[in-house]
Amino acid sequence: MEYRQVLTISGKGSGPEHFASTLRGIAIGGDDQLYAVGDSTLKVFDAQGKLLRHWRTGRPGYCVSVGDGGRVWVGEAEQLEIFDAAGKLVNSWRDPELLGLVTAIDFTPENVLVADARDRSIRRFDRKGKFLHNIGKDNRMKGFMIPNGILDFAVDGQGVIHATNPGKHRIEHYTSAGKLLGHFGRFDGIDPKGFPGCCNPTNLTVTAEDHIVVTEKAGPRAKIFDAEGELLTVVATEVFDPNCKNMDLAVDSQGRIYVVDTVRLAVFVFAPASGAGGVRP
Amino acid sequence: MKKKPTRREVLGHAARGATLLGLGGVGAALVTKTHKVMGWQLDPAKCVNSRLGATGVEVCELCSTECVEPLSAVRAVNEFSKCGRCYICPAYFNIKSAINEEGLPSEKLCPRDAIERKPIGWIDPYDPANNFYEYTIDETKCNGCGRCVMACKEPAGLSSIRLEVRYDACLDCNRCSIAIACPDDAYDLVPVEPA
Repeated sequence: MEYRQVLTISGKGSGPEHFASTLRGIAIGGDDQLYAVGDSTLKVFDAQGKLLRHWRTGRPGYCVSVGDGGRVWVGEAEQLEIFDAAGKLVNSWRDPELLGLVTAIDFTPENVLVADARDRSIRRFDRKGKFLHNIGKDNRMKGFMIPNGILDFAVDGQGVIHATNPGKHRIEHYTSAGKLLGHFGRFDGIDPKGFPGCCNPTNLTVTAEDHIVVTEKAGPRAKIFDAEGELLTVVATEVFDPNCKNMDLAVDSQGRIYVVDTVRLAVFVFAPASGAGGVRP
Repeated sequence: MKKKPTRREVLGHAARGATLLGLGGVGAALVTKTHKVMGWQLDPAKCVNSRLGATGVEVCELCSTECVEPLSAVRAVNEFSKCGRCYICPAYFNIKSAINEEGLPSEKLCPRDAIERKPIGWIDPYDPANNFYEYTIDETKCNGCGRCVMACKEPAGLSSIRLEVRYDACLDCNRCSIAIACPDDAYDLVPVEPA
Protein backbone atom coordinates (compact mmCIF):
# COMPACT_ATOMS: atom_id res chain seq x y z
CA MET A 1 0.00 0.00 0.00
CA GLU A 2 1.41 3.36 -1.01
CA TYR A 3 0.36 6.73 0.25
CA ARG A 4 0.53 10.10 -1.41
CA GLN A 5 0.25 13.56 0.05
CA VAL A 6 -3.11 15.06 -0.86
CA LEU A 7 -3.39 18.14 1.31
CA THR A 8 -1.49 20.56 3.51
CA ILE A 9 -3.36 22.29 6.30
CA SER A 10 -2.25 25.43 8.15
CA GLY A 11 1.39 26.47 8.30
CA LYS A 12 3.65 29.00 9.93
CA GLY A 13 2.36 32.54 9.91
CA SER A 14 0.26 35.18 11.57
CA GLY A 15 -3.09 34.54 9.90
CA PRO A 16 -6.00 33.02 11.80
CA GLU A 17 -5.44 29.63 10.13
CA HIS A 18 -1.72 29.66 10.95
CA PHE A 19 0.43 28.88 13.95
CA ALA A 20 3.12 31.33 15.01
CA SER A 21 5.66 29.24 16.89
CA THR A 22 4.40 25.76 17.82
CA LEU A 23 2.04 23.12 16.52
CA ARG A 24 2.11 20.15 18.84
CA GLY A 25 -1.08 18.10 18.77
CA ILE A 26 -3.84 17.04 16.41
CA ALA A 27 -6.97 14.90 16.58
CA ILE A 28 -9.84 14.00 14.32
CA GLY A 29 -13.40 14.71 15.45
CA GLY A 30 -16.83 14.27 13.94
CA ASP A 31 -17.19 14.82 10.19
CA ASP A 32 -13.44 14.26 9.97
CA GLN A 33 -12.80 17.72 11.30
CA LEU A 34 -9.21 18.33 12.27
CA TYR A 35 -8.46 19.74 15.72
CA ALA A 36 -5.00 21.24 15.98
CA VAL A 37 -3.40 22.74 19.06
CA GLY A 38 -0.32 24.90 19.23
CA ASP A 39 0.88 28.21 20.62
CA SER A 40 -1.99 28.85 23.06
CA THR A 41 -4.68 28.27 20.46
CA LEU A 42 -6.91 25.50 19.27
CA LYS A 43 -8.03 25.57 15.63
CA VAL A 44 -10.66 23.45 13.93
CA PHE A 45 -10.46 22.73 10.20
CA ASP A 46 -12.86 20.90 7.93
CA ALA A 47 -11.77 17.87 5.93
CA GLN A 48 -10.66 20.14 3.08
CA GLY A 49 -8.47 22.20 5.38
CA LYS A 50 -10.68 25.25 5.72
CA LEU A 51 -10.53 26.93 9.12
CA LEU A 52 -13.91 26.63 10.84
CA ARG A 53 -13.27 28.14 14.27
CA HIS A 54 -10.53 28.76 16.76
CA TRP A 55 -10.18 29.72 20.39
CA ARG A 56 -7.57 30.39 23.04
CA THR A 57 -6.40 27.80 25.52
CA GLY A 58 -5.39 28.66 29.05
CA ARG A 59 -1.81 27.54 28.53
CA PRO A 60 0.20 26.33 25.53
CA GLY A 61 -1.36 23.07 24.35
CA TYR A 62 0.67 19.87 23.99
CA CYS A 63 -2.06 17.52 22.79
CA VAL A 64 -5.73 17.42 21.90
CA SER A 65 -8.35 14.71 21.89
CA VAL A 66 -12.04 14.72 21.02
CA GLY A 67 -14.26 12.87 23.47
CA ASP A 68 -17.92 12.13 23.98
CA GLY A 69 -20.33 14.80 22.81
CA GLY A 70 -17.64 16.45 20.75
CA ARG A 71 -15.92 17.75 23.83
CA VAL A 72 -12.38 18.88 23.17
CA TRP A 73 -9.72 17.89 25.69
CA VAL A 74 -6.49 19.87 25.59
CA GLY A 75 -3.41 18.73 27.48
CA GLU A 76 -1.17 21.40 28.94
CA ALA A 77 1.46 21.83 31.63
CA GLU A 78 -0.03 20.91 35.01
CA GLN A 79 -3.59 20.89 33.74
CA LEU A 80 -5.98 19.83 31.04
CA GLU A 81 -8.89 21.86 29.76
CA ILE A 82 -12.21 20.59 28.48
CA PHE A 83 -14.11 22.67 25.94
CA ASP A 84 -17.46 22.11 24.30
CA ALA A 85 -17.55 21.82 20.52
CA ALA A 86 -18.00 25.56 20.16
CA GLY A 87 -14.93 26.32 22.23
CA LYS A 88 -16.53 27.23 25.54
CA LEU A 89 -14.50 26.08 28.54
CA VAL A 90 -16.66 23.66 30.50
CA ASN A 91 -14.16 22.16 32.90
CA SER A 92 -10.49 21.93 33.75
CA TRP A 93 -8.48 19.47 35.78
CA ARG A 94 -5.53 20.99 37.58
CA ASP A 95 -2.92 18.91 39.35
CA PRO A 96 0.79 19.79 39.25
CA GLU A 97 1.67 16.29 40.42
CA LEU A 98 -0.53 14.02 38.33
CA LEU A 99 -0.72 16.26 35.27
CA GLY A 100 2.87 17.46 35.10
CA LEU A 101 3.03 17.74 31.31
CA VAL A 102 0.06 16.27 29.49
CA THR A 103 1.16 15.06 26.05
CA ALA A 104 -1.60 12.56 25.18
CA ILE A 105 -5.21 11.95 26.17
CA ASP A 106 -7.48 9.05 25.19
CA PHE A 107 -10.54 7.30 26.49
CA THR A 108 -12.10 3.98 27.35
CA PRO A 109 -15.82 3.76 28.08
CA GLU A 110 -15.17 4.20 31.80
CA ASN A 111 -11.89 6.03 31.95
CA VAL A 112 -9.84 8.98 30.86
CA LEU A 113 -6.20 8.12 30.23
CA VAL A 114 -3.60 10.85 30.34
CA ALA A 115 0.10 10.71 29.50
CA ASP A 116 2.22 12.70 31.91
CA ALA A 117 5.58 13.17 30.22
CA ARG A 118 7.09 14.75 33.32
CA ASP A 119 6.52 11.56 35.31
CA ARG A 120 6.98 9.30 32.24
CA SER A 121 3.75 7.45 32.93
CA ILE A 122 0.12 7.14 31.91
CA ARG A 123 -2.48 8.21 34.51
CA ARG A 124 -5.80 6.43 34.66
CA PHE A 125 -8.72 8.53 35.89
CA ASP A 126 -12.41 7.80 36.08
CA ARG A 127 -14.71 9.99 34.05
CA LYS A 128 -15.15 12.41 36.91
CA GLY A 129 -11.44 12.97 37.27
CA LYS A 130 -10.71 10.69 40.21
CA PHE A 131 -7.19 9.28 39.91
CA LEU A 132 -7.10 5.47 39.91
CA HIS A 133 -3.54 4.36 39.17
CA ASN A 134 -0.48 4.71 36.95
CA ILE A 135 0.28 2.65 33.87
CA GLY A 136 3.80 1.90 32.65
CA LYS A 137 5.52 2.92 35.85
CA ASP A 138 5.94 -0.48 37.46
CA ASN A 139 9.33 -1.28 36.00
CA ARG A 140 12.99 -0.75 36.58
CA MET A 141 12.98 2.57 34.72
CA LYS A 142 10.07 3.83 36.87
CA GLY A 143 8.27 4.79 33.72
CA PHE A 144 8.64 5.05 29.99
CA MET A 145 12.02 5.95 28.55
CA ILE A 146 11.34 9.21 26.70
CA PRO A 147 14.50 11.23 26.07
CA ASN A 148 12.50 12.94 23.32
CA GLY A 149 10.43 14.68 26.00
CA ILE A 150 6.92 13.48 25.24
CA LEU A 151 4.91 10.33 25.83
CA ASP A 152 2.23 9.23 23.37
CA PHE A 153 -0.35 6.45 23.41
CA ALA A 154 -3.68 5.45 21.90
CA VAL A 155 -6.46 3.02 22.79
CA ASP A 156 -7.61 0.50 20.18
CA GLY A 157 -11.08 -0.92 19.58
CA GLN A 158 -10.58 -3.62 22.20
CA GLY A 159 -9.52 -1.18 24.88
CA VAL A 160 -5.83 -2.09 24.67
CA ILE A 161 -3.47 0.78 25.31
CA HIS A 162 -0.60 1.08 22.83
CA ALA A 163 2.19 3.36 24.06
CA THR A 164 5.49 4.50 22.66
CA ASN A 165 8.60 3.63 24.59
CA PRO A 166 11.11 5.35 22.32
CA GLY A 167 14.18 4.85 24.49
CA LYS A 168 13.62 1.11 24.18
CA HIS A 169 12.61 1.36 20.50
CA ARG A 170 9.33 -0.35 21.31
CA ILE A 171 5.58 -0.09 21.17
CA GLU A 172 4.18 -1.50 24.40
CA HIS A 173 0.66 -2.83 24.95
CA TYR A 174 -1.16 -2.50 28.28
CA THR A 175 -4.54 -3.30 29.71
CA SER A 176 -6.33 -0.39 31.30
CA ALA A 177 -5.50 -2.08 34.62
CA GLY A 178 -1.86 -1.48 33.80
CA LYS A 179 -0.77 -5.01 32.94
CA LEU A 180 1.91 -5.16 30.26
CA LEU A 181 0.60 -7.46 27.55
CA GLY A 182 3.63 -7.36 25.32
CA HIS A 183 5.61 -5.20 22.97
CA PHE A 184 7.12 -5.08 19.53
CA GLY A 185 9.93 -3.13 17.96
CA ARG A 186 13.69 -3.13 17.93
CA PHE A 187 16.51 -0.79 17.08
CA ASP A 188 17.62 -0.65 13.47
CA GLY A 189 19.32 2.30 11.86
CA ILE A 190 18.93 1.00 8.34
CA ASP A 191 15.96 -1.34 7.99
CA PRO A 192 12.62 0.54 8.28
CA LYS A 193 11.17 -2.52 10.04
CA GLY A 194 13.06 -1.30 13.11
CA PHE A 195 13.20 2.05 14.84
CA PRO A 196 16.33 4.19 14.32
CA GLY A 197 18.23 6.73 16.38
CA CYS A 198 18.34 7.15 20.12
CA CYS A 199 14.62 7.15 20.68
CA ASN A 200 11.90 6.21 18.29
CA PRO A 201 9.01 6.03 17.59
CA THR A 202 7.96 9.27 19.22
CA ASN A 203 4.24 9.29 18.41
CA LEU A 204 1.52 6.86 17.46
CA THR A 205 -2.12 6.46 16.66
CA VAL A 206 -4.33 3.45 15.99
CA THR A 207 -6.51 2.94 12.92
CA ALA A 208 -9.98 1.46 12.81
CA GLU A 209 -8.32 -1.82 11.80
CA ASP A 210 -6.10 -1.68 14.88
CA HIS A 211 -3.06 -0.95 12.79
CA ILE A 212 -0.51 1.21 14.53
CA VAL A 213 0.75 4.30 12.73
CA VAL A 214 3.91 5.84 14.11
CA THR A 215 6.17 8.78 13.47
CA GLU A 216 9.90 8.95 13.97
CA LYS A 217 12.44 11.74 14.20
CA ALA A 218 15.93 12.11 12.72
CA GLY A 219 15.03 11.45 9.94
CA PRO A 220 11.38 12.11 10.16
CA ARG A 221 8.99 9.57 8.70
CA ALA A 222 5.62 7.92 9.23
CA LYS A 223 5.10 4.14 9.12
CA ILE A 224 2.28 1.66 9.59
CA PHE A 225 2.54 -1.63 11.48
CA ASP A 226 -0.06 -4.31 11.92
CA ALA A 227 -1.12 -5.38 15.40
CA GLU A 228 1.64 -8.02 15.51
CA GLY A 229 4.33 -5.52 14.70
CA GLU A 230 4.88 -6.32 11.03
CA LEU A 231 5.74 -3.28 8.97
CA LEU A 232 3.02 -2.68 6.40
CA THR A 233 4.31 0.44 4.72
CA VAL A 234 6.29 3.64 5.03
CA VAL A 235 3.77 6.42 4.53
CA ALA A 236 6.13 9.31 3.97
CA THR A 237 9.61 10.46 4.77
CA GLU A 238 11.23 13.10 2.60
CA VAL A 239 8.35 15.57 2.72
CA PHE A 240 9.04 16.57 6.31
CA ASP A 241 11.56 19.14 7.47
CA PRO A 242 14.58 17.17 8.72
CA ASN A 243 14.51 19.04 12.02
CA CYS A 244 11.03 17.75 12.87
CA LYS A 245 10.59 16.03 16.21
CA ASN A 246 7.62 14.62 18.11
CA MET A 247 5.31 14.75 15.10
CA ASP A 248 1.78 14.05 16.27
CA LEU A 249 -0.53 12.17 13.93
CA ALA A 250 -4.15 11.13 13.46
CA VAL A 251 -6.30 9.01 11.15
CA ASP A 252 -9.71 9.96 9.80
CA SER A 253 -12.68 7.78 8.81
CA GLN A 254 -11.40 7.53 5.24
CA GLY A 255 -8.08 6.09 6.31
CA ARG A 256 -6.27 9.34 5.56
CA ILE A 257 -3.26 9.92 7.77
CA TYR A 258 -2.55 13.37 9.18
CA VAL A 259 0.99 14.16 10.31
CA VAL A 260 2.30 17.36 11.90
CA ASP A 261 5.42 18.98 10.48
CA THR A 262 6.61 20.60 13.70
CA VAL A 263 8.99 22.97 11.91
CA ARG A 264 6.70 24.22 9.17
CA LEU A 265 3.78 24.16 11.64
CA ALA A 266 1.62 22.42 9.05
CA VAL A 267 -0.41 19.24 8.90
CA PHE A 268 0.32 16.99 5.93
CA VAL A 269 -2.49 14.69 4.85
CA PHE A 270 -1.72 11.39 3.16
CA ALA A 271 -4.22 9.15 1.41
CA PRO A 272 -3.84 5.60 0.14
CA ALA A 273 -2.65 5.87 -3.44
CA SER A 274 -5.21 3.33 -4.58
CA GLY A 275 -8.10 5.32 -3.14
CA ALA A 276 -9.89 5.57 0.14
CA GLY A 277 -10.02 2.66 2.51
CA GLY A 278 -7.87 0.65 4.82
CA VAL A 279 -4.20 0.08 4.85
CA ARG A 280 -3.86 -3.64 4.26
CA PRO A 281 -1.34 -4.35 1.53
CA MET B 1 79.23 77.39 35.50
CA LYS B 2 76.38 74.99 36.07
CA LYS B 3 73.57 76.52 37.99
CA LYS B 4 72.58 74.70 41.12
CA PRO B 5 68.95 73.52 40.83
CA THR B 6 66.55 75.20 43.09
CA ARG B 7 64.48 73.29 45.61
CA ARG B 8 61.35 73.89 43.44
CA GLU B 9 63.09 72.35 40.36
CA VAL B 10 64.24 69.29 42.30
CA LEU B 11 60.77 68.65 43.60
CA GLY B 12 59.30 69.16 40.11
CA HIS B 13 61.64 66.59 38.54
CA ALA B 14 60.89 64.13 41.29
CA ALA B 15 57.14 64.53 40.83
CA ARG B 16 57.36 64.06 37.04
CA GLY B 17 59.51 60.99 37.51
CA ALA B 18 57.08 59.49 39.99
CA THR B 19 54.16 60.17 37.65
CA LEU B 20 55.92 58.52 34.72
CA LEU B 21 56.85 55.53 36.82
CA GLY B 22 53.28 55.22 38.02
CA LEU B 23 51.81 55.43 34.54
CA GLY B 24 54.31 52.90 33.25
CA GLY B 25 53.48 50.54 36.09
CA VAL B 26 49.77 50.82 35.53
CA GLY B 27 50.24 50.24 31.79
CA ALA B 28 52.41 47.21 32.38
CA ALA B 29 49.91 45.83 34.86
CA LEU B 30 47.06 46.33 32.41
CA VAL B 31 48.96 44.60 29.62
CA THR B 32 49.84 41.70 31.92
CA LYS B 33 46.32 41.44 33.25
CA THR B 34 44.78 41.57 29.78
CA HIS B 35 47.10 38.87 28.56
CA LYS B 36 46.30 36.59 31.47
CA VAL B 37 42.52 36.85 31.58
CA MET B 38 41.64 36.55 27.90
CA GLY B 39 41.10 33.15 26.34
CA TRP B 40 39.75 31.52 23.21
CA GLN B 41 36.22 30.22 23.51
CA LEU B 42 34.02 28.29 21.10
CA ASP B 43 30.42 29.41 20.74
CA PRO B 44 28.23 26.27 20.38
CA ALA B 45 25.44 28.34 18.84
CA LYS B 46 27.71 29.20 15.91
CA CYS B 47 29.60 25.92 15.48
CA VAL B 48 27.99 23.86 12.71
CA ASN B 49 28.43 20.69 14.76
CA SER B 50 26.14 21.97 17.51
CA ARG B 51 24.13 24.77 15.87
CA LEU B 52 20.46 23.83 15.88
CA GLY B 53 18.82 23.61 12.48
CA ALA B 54 22.04 22.65 10.70
CA THR B 55 21.12 19.06 9.91
CA GLY B 56 22.06 16.90 6.98
CA VAL B 57 25.48 18.54 6.68
CA GLU B 58 28.93 17.04 7.03
CA VAL B 59 30.64 17.25 10.38
CA CYS B 60 33.37 19.91 10.62
CA GLU B 61 36.58 18.45 12.07
CA LEU B 62 38.80 21.53 11.82
CA CYS B 63 39.07 21.84 15.61
CA SER B 64 40.97 18.57 15.63
CA THR B 65 43.24 19.33 12.69
CA GLU B 66 44.02 23.06 12.89
CA CYS B 67 45.31 23.44 16.45
CA VAL B 68 49.06 23.96 16.70
CA GLU B 69 49.24 21.39 19.48
CA PRO B 70 49.71 17.71 18.49
CA LEU B 71 46.53 16.86 20.41
CA SER B 72 44.10 19.71 19.91
CA ALA B 73 43.16 21.84 22.90
CA VAL B 74 39.51 21.32 22.00
CA ARG B 75 37.53 18.56 23.69
CA ALA B 76 34.01 17.21 23.55
CA VAL B 77 32.13 17.66 26.80
CA ASN B 78 28.98 15.76 27.74
CA GLU B 79 26.67 17.79 29.95
CA PHE B 80 25.15 15.07 32.09
CA SER B 81 22.18 17.18 33.16
CA LYS B 82 21.02 17.26 29.53
CA CYS B 83 22.03 13.72 28.54
CA GLY B 84 19.20 11.23 28.02
CA ARG B 85 21.33 8.28 29.19
CA CYS B 86 19.99 6.38 26.22
CA TYR B 87 20.36 2.70 25.49
CA ILE B 88 21.36 3.54 21.93
CA CYS B 89 23.37 6.75 21.95
CA PRO B 90 23.94 8.12 18.43
CA ALA B 91 27.11 9.82 19.64
CA TYR B 92 28.55 6.56 20.95
CA PHE B 93 27.39 4.14 18.26
CA ASN B 94 27.56 4.50 14.52
CA ILE B 95 23.82 4.01 14.25
CA LYS B 96 24.03 3.38 10.53
CA SER B 97 26.31 0.38 10.99
CA ALA B 98 25.11 -3.20 10.79
CA ILE B 99 23.36 -4.70 13.80
CA ASN B 100 25.37 -7.22 15.80
CA GLU B 101 24.11 -10.33 17.60
CA GLU B 102 23.18 -8.24 20.64
CA GLY B 103 20.92 -6.04 18.55
CA LEU B 104 23.32 -3.11 18.85
CA PRO B 105 25.12 -1.16 16.13
CA SER B 106 28.34 -3.01 15.42
CA GLU B 107 30.53 0.11 15.14
CA LYS B 108 31.37 2.99 17.41
CA LEU B 109 31.24 6.53 16.10
CA CYS B 110 34.34 7.95 17.78
CA PRO B 111 37.47 7.23 15.71
CA ARG B 112 39.59 7.42 18.86
CA ASP B 113 37.31 5.34 21.07
CA ALA B 114 37.17 8.23 23.51
CA ILE B 115 33.65 7.64 24.84
CA GLU B 116 32.99 5.12 27.58
CA ARG B 117 29.52 3.57 27.95
CA LYS B 118 28.37 1.86 31.10
CA PRO B 119 25.00 1.01 32.61
CA ILE B 120 24.29 2.83 35.84
CA GLY B 121 22.31 1.93 38.91
CA TRP B 122 20.80 -1.49 39.38
CA ILE B 123 21.38 -3.37 36.14
CA ASP B 124 18.82 -5.57 34.42
CA PRO B 125 20.88 -8.47 33.07
CA TYR B 126 18.03 -9.86 30.97
CA ASP B 127 16.98 -6.74 29.12
CA PRO B 128 19.82 -4.31 28.34
CA ALA B 129 17.28 -1.80 27.01
CA ASN B 130 15.92 -1.67 30.53
CA ASN B 131 18.87 0.33 31.85
CA PHE B 132 20.14 3.86 31.91
CA TYR B 133 23.61 4.38 30.47
CA GLU B 134 26.27 6.92 31.30
CA TYR B 135 28.53 8.22 28.58
CA THR B 136 31.86 9.67 29.68
CA ILE B 137 34.41 11.28 27.41
CA ASP B 138 38.06 10.41 27.99
CA GLU B 139 39.82 13.72 27.49
CA THR B 140 43.18 12.05 27.11
CA LYS B 141 41.87 10.49 23.89
CA CYS B 142 39.43 13.09 22.56
CA ASN B 143 40.82 15.47 19.96
CA GLY B 144 37.68 17.54 19.44
CA CYS B 145 36.76 16.17 16.03
CA GLY B 146 33.11 16.95 16.74
CA ARG B 147 31.54 13.79 15.33
CA CYS B 148 29.80 12.98 18.59
CA VAL B 149 28.64 16.57 18.91
CA MET B 150 26.98 16.48 15.50
CA ALA B 151 25.42 13.08 16.21
CA CYS B 152 23.99 14.20 19.56
CA LYS B 153 22.47 17.38 18.16
CA GLU B 154 18.71 17.88 18.22
CA PRO B 155 16.54 16.38 16.87
CA ALA B 156 18.68 13.20 16.74
CA GLY B 157 19.81 13.60 20.33
CA LEU B 158 19.48 16.10 23.13
CA SER B 159 22.46 18.32 22.25
CA SER B 160 24.11 17.39 25.51
CA ILE B 161 27.57 17.21 23.93
CA ARG B 162 29.44 20.32 22.84
CA LEU B 163 33.01 21.31 22.04
CA GLU B 164 35.02 23.37 24.49
CA VAL B 165 38.52 24.84 24.48
CA ARG B 166 40.42 23.43 27.43
CA TYR B 167 42.37 26.33 28.86
CA ASP B 168 44.94 24.10 30.51
CA ALA B 169 45.78 22.68 27.08
CA CYS B 170 45.40 25.88 25.06
CA LEU B 171 48.60 27.79 24.35
CA ASP B 172 46.60 31.00 24.25
CA CYS B 173 48.04 31.96 20.89
CA ASN B 174 47.67 35.56 19.91
CA ARG B 175 46.07 34.39 16.69
CA CYS B 176 44.38 31.03 17.17
CA SER B 177 44.89 28.86 14.13
CA ILE B 178 41.53 27.13 14.65
CA ALA B 179 39.77 30.47 14.88
CA ILE B 180 41.37 31.52 11.61
CA ALA B 181 40.21 28.34 9.91
CA CYS B 182 36.75 28.17 11.47
CA PRO B 183 34.17 28.65 8.70
CA ASP B 184 31.48 29.58 11.21
CA ASP B 185 33.47 32.30 12.97
CA ALA B 186 32.64 30.43 16.16
CA TYR B 187 35.80 31.37 18.09
CA ASP B 188 36.03 34.46 20.22
CA LEU B 189 38.72 35.85 22.48
CA VAL B 190 36.85 36.50 25.68
CA PRO B 191 37.66 37.40 29.26
CA VAL B 192 37.87 34.24 31.29
CA GLU B 193 37.62 36.10 34.59
CA PRO B 194 35.45 39.02 35.59
CA ALA B 195 37.29 42.25 34.70
